[in-house]
Amino acid sequence: MRYYIVAETEWSQHLNRFLSEYELYAPVKNTETESYDYEQITAETIDSIYYNGNTPTTPLKTFYLPIKENVVNIKENQPRIVIGVPNCDLAALNILDNIYLDDDYIDPCYKQNRDNTVIFGKDCYTYKKSCHCTSYSLKPYPQENCDVSMSITDGMIYLCPMSDKGESLLKKHKITDNKSVDTIPETIISKRQDVVNNLQNQNKNLPDEKNTRISIEKSSEELWDKYSDKCVSCGACSFICPTCHCFLLIDKEHFEKVRSVDVCQYPGFARVAAGEDPLHYLNKRFKYRYLCKYCYKPDMFKALACTGCGRCIDACIGKIDKNELILESFK
Amino acid sequence: MQTNNIYKPIKAQLVKVIEESPEIKTLVLVPEEEFSFKTGEFIELTIDGVGEAPFTPSSSPLDTKQLEVTVMKAGYVTDKMHNMQIGEYMGIRGPYGRGYPLEEFYDKEVLILGGGCGFAPLRSLLYNLKAVSDRIRKVTFCYGSKTPADCIYKPYITELRETPKFEVRRSVDKADDTWTERVGVVTVLLDDVKIDVPNSIAVVCGPPIMMKFGTFKLIEMGYPENKIYLSMEKNMSCGLGKCGHCAMGSFFVCKDGPVFTYEEIKNEPNLWI
Ligand code: SF4
Ligand code: SF4
Ligand code: FES
Repeated sequence: MRYYIVAETEWSQHLNRFLSEYELYAPVKNTETESYDYEQITAETIDSIYYNGNTPTTPLKTFYLPIKENVVNIKENQPRIVIGVPNCDLAALNILDNIYLDDDYIDPCYKQNRDNTVIFGKDCYTYKKSCHCTSYSLKPYPQENCDVSMSITDGMIYLCPMSDKGESLLKKHKITDNKSVDTIPETIISKRQDVVNNLQNQNKNLPDEKNTRISIEKSSEELWDKYSDKCVSCGACSFICPTCHCFLLIDKEHFEKVRSVDVCQYPGFARVAAGEDPLHYLNKRFKYRYLCKYCYKPDMFKALACTGCGRCIDACIGKIDKNELILESFK
Repeated sequence: MQTNNIYKPIKAQLVKVIEESPEIKTLVLVPEEEFSFKTGEFIELTIDGVGEAPFTPSSSPLDTKQLEVTVMKAGYVTDKMHNMQIGEYMGIRGPYGRGYPLEEFYDKEVLILGGGCGFAPLRSLLYNLKAVSDRIRKVTFCYGSKTPADCIYKPYITELRETPKFEVRRSVDKADDTWTERVGVVTVLLDDVKIDVPNSIAVVCGPPIMMKFGTFKLIEMGYPENKIYLSMEKNMSCGLGKCGHCAMGSFFVCKDGPVFTYEEIKNEPNLWI
């Protein structure tokens, strides 16, 4: 591993250079709500990038799977760089890539969107109450699936290429001529470890993904009735989940099709023409999402389908806390 | 690996419409580009700008010039399909999924249990079995429908009854004066079937409730779970293992099925819904 060092004071020059070739997206803080989300960055807004957040409100997947996209009449898109991607979103790509880049049927839009995007993963030095990546053996810093990992300490940015795409971007912009080190500085290691410790402490009772699975499988129906009672089937939990991938195809003239995000929490999602609907009842549908995350998808793809980002907990208008449910089932 | 856009249908012209019953029509389509399928695989049939729906073609997979799709009126899109005019174009995507493993049927007696609209995909299987009948010992087709008027493909039944090695047994839930065959749910037909179970393969296709009791009956008759083939109906949409609508536990029915052995899926949730 090689870490190229850029002084924070020089970083905006690099971003400006990136802007001549790429669209640039990075988290920007909303000072009123204290939340942050990806925004398109221009030369004027470079200074508003917020590097120290944890999970941007919107998951990374929206760059690859926009809410609506014509998948037959495909528009070419501009190459882009996404800065500030947390590890929970990077880990989610293991599910999405398996589905959308499946050798038998490669999704042309997803592939184009994925190929055209350079991802800068980042360390999380802060965390939310709902963050629980470490419960599923993920770290709160980039481990895989990004092109460049980015860690900041003491006014210095450490950039580590993690893919050929990342390497060639850094080379092209001469960042690889900068001073570099082959181990990450102690200050970063200890900042990372602090977050790991705090997250483990915050979630010390939360079972890991295997034990979560076991307790969900043997949980009582009353548990699901109790929690689903507060669910209004709005689908926010799935819209915002970095691994949820479902969609609807909408037909347009000239045999074009628009792929539009769909959610298993909506009534009728699984209804067949003859009328049978395995997910007709709210409690079934509600439980299905948990089974999908902790049982079905891990079986299908040998990957985590809940990466612990906590977004579904933050987004639920019924104030349903996924982890509270899991803790209750684990008792 | 595909070269074309996986979401883009090829065009097919509607050349003939066969009225099977007031609710059921068979559309005969001639694809503009080369198109073939294996028995049991399904397609997505599109009405331009309106919508699409999944069907297993009901024609012979050996006929690559045209294909037949039997459509039961079940909602907005299928209603529109019933109103398509000869000469108009529709779209076809596919074929998708895993069909019947015909090689497994060779040198065996094949017992086919069908109900209602399940006859459509089964007819394609029957055509195919007839084409390879020198390699099959015997085919027994048990078919149940609600009433005699709901029995589709009547001319084909006559043809099948005259085909060596093929036997057809039918039942209806509710008979009328013209009915001379069995009355009752389709599984009653199995009571009189003489079959060499250890050297036999069973296929079940129809409404979920019939699939459930059919499967249980076959197990009672001594069929091993891996010799019972079920054709599962789920809410197929993309056909590509992506949209999630057809998920059944850890299977995407569109890609991993729709044909499964009972052994493969017996523990899946909501199997019979
Ligand atoms: S299930 Fe919830 S916590 Fe897990 S990855 Fe999805 S949104 Fe994040
Ligand atoms: S966000 Fe909450 S209320 Fe909305 S569908 Fe998900 S669990 Fe139900
Ligand atoms: S029909 Fe879309 S995943 Fe199976």
